[in-house]
Amino acid sequence: MNKFFINKLSIISFIFIPIIFLWHPNWVGFLGVQPYWPLFWLLPWSMINGPVNGLIFGLFLGLILDSLTLDNNFTQIPGLIFCGFLFGRIKFHSNTFVGHFRYGLICSLGSFLCGTLYFLQILFRNFSDSNYSIFVPGIKNILAEVFLTGFFAPFVCSHLLRIFKSSRKTS
Amino acid sequence: MLSIRRISTNRWWHKKKNWILFAIFLFLVFVRITKGSFYKDFYYFISKPFWPGQFQKEVVLESIDQENLIKLNLLKKDNLRLRRILSLQESSNNENISAAVISRKTGSWWRQIILNKGSKDGVEVGNVVIGPGGLLGRVNNTSLFTSSVILITSPESKLGVWVDRIQVNGLLVGLGDDYPSLILYSKDADIKVGDFVSSSPASTLLPPNIPIGFVQSIDKTLKSKKTAKISLLAKPHVIDWVQILKVNI
Repeated sequence: MNKFFINKLSIISFIFIPIIFLWHPNWVGFLGVQPYWPLFWLLPWSMINGPVNGLIFGLFLGLILDSLTLDNNFTQIPGLIFCGFLFGRIKFHSNTFVGHFRYGLICSLGSFLCGTLYFLQILFRNFSDSNYSIFVPGIKNILAEVFLTGFFAPFVCSHLLRIFKSSRKTS
Repeated sequence: MLSIRRISTNRWWHKKKNWILFAIFLFLVFVRITKGSFYKDFYYFISKPFWPGQFQKEVVLESIDQENLIKLNLLKKDNLRLRRILSLQESSNNENISAAVISRKTGSWWRQIILNKGSKDGVEVGNVVIGPGGLLGRVNNTSLFTSSVILITSPESKLGVWVDRIQVNGLLVGLGDDYPSLILYSKDADIKVGDFVSSSPASTLLPPNIPIGFVQSIDKTLKSKKTAKISLLAKPHVIDWVQILKVNI
């Protein structure tokens, strides 16, 4: 039983992403914005399992997170699919120290892509209102999310990567 | 012969992994269709030990007193106006449900709260949610034990509101930040900073005279409309207890 949990740790940790997404702990927030949690899981998963697996689990994550948010007109799926595929093509860096900071940069880029794609959907939907005031909070949200995701990624991703690798070895 | 056998055993449907992935995909589509009810109920149980305690009741009651005072004045005025007009329908709000906030997303794109009362407690989609201070949002989705409320700050929220001083109806649109935008479809509307905004008596989504907020700043007049930023009375990022109004408008 214990071995089963160790082997399937990456899948089990997948279940907790929506829980953290719902939990939304304020003490890790900045300007009321949270880091983009799904990327912390998606990066190590895709780096280990490749772009196709990254794409598939990007879709899975998008489906589950869309079902938890009430915005029926906007979706997170395109951003997560794109990030899953992109992360899968990234190779491991030989220098561990540089590697940690790379996770930060990659996650920041992923968060920027996801945030921009989401914002474009909102803009497209509200295009008829020609409401320019939506730009300021939109850009603020994207930048705060990029900063936080990049800040936490080296800590979280390197730990998850180590856990996923060890669970893969034991299986 | 050997090569044919090898090809036939390598078809995608012969791989167990593909079927497992397909099963996971179907399950997630099911979760998507049910709008995550399963997950929200799961979260309900694991977050139960961390729900806000009773000690906040006093703070909440104090805020409710202030809110009631404002509401009373508005209702008096409205009643007088209605007696003169005698054409508006009355709204009945005999049944309120108290609920605790168990999940809160008040920053970023997603602006919603999840409450610990669901369809088993009689909460229905479209019910109005108010907190100390005034309107918070509307119930958009319910599961057995929880209900999800779309906040008025969400980019998806559009509500009819009433500016009391100048007696004009407007549209309150969420922008994804803490200050929703009030749109008045008249460039001559004499709106001023500090004007009080409440739910519109003409709204088909909300009961009338629920306090919403004050005009914080006025933007430039665009074509035929005037826009202003609204500072909300109810602060969704600090409220732990709310009231769900079961209203028939």
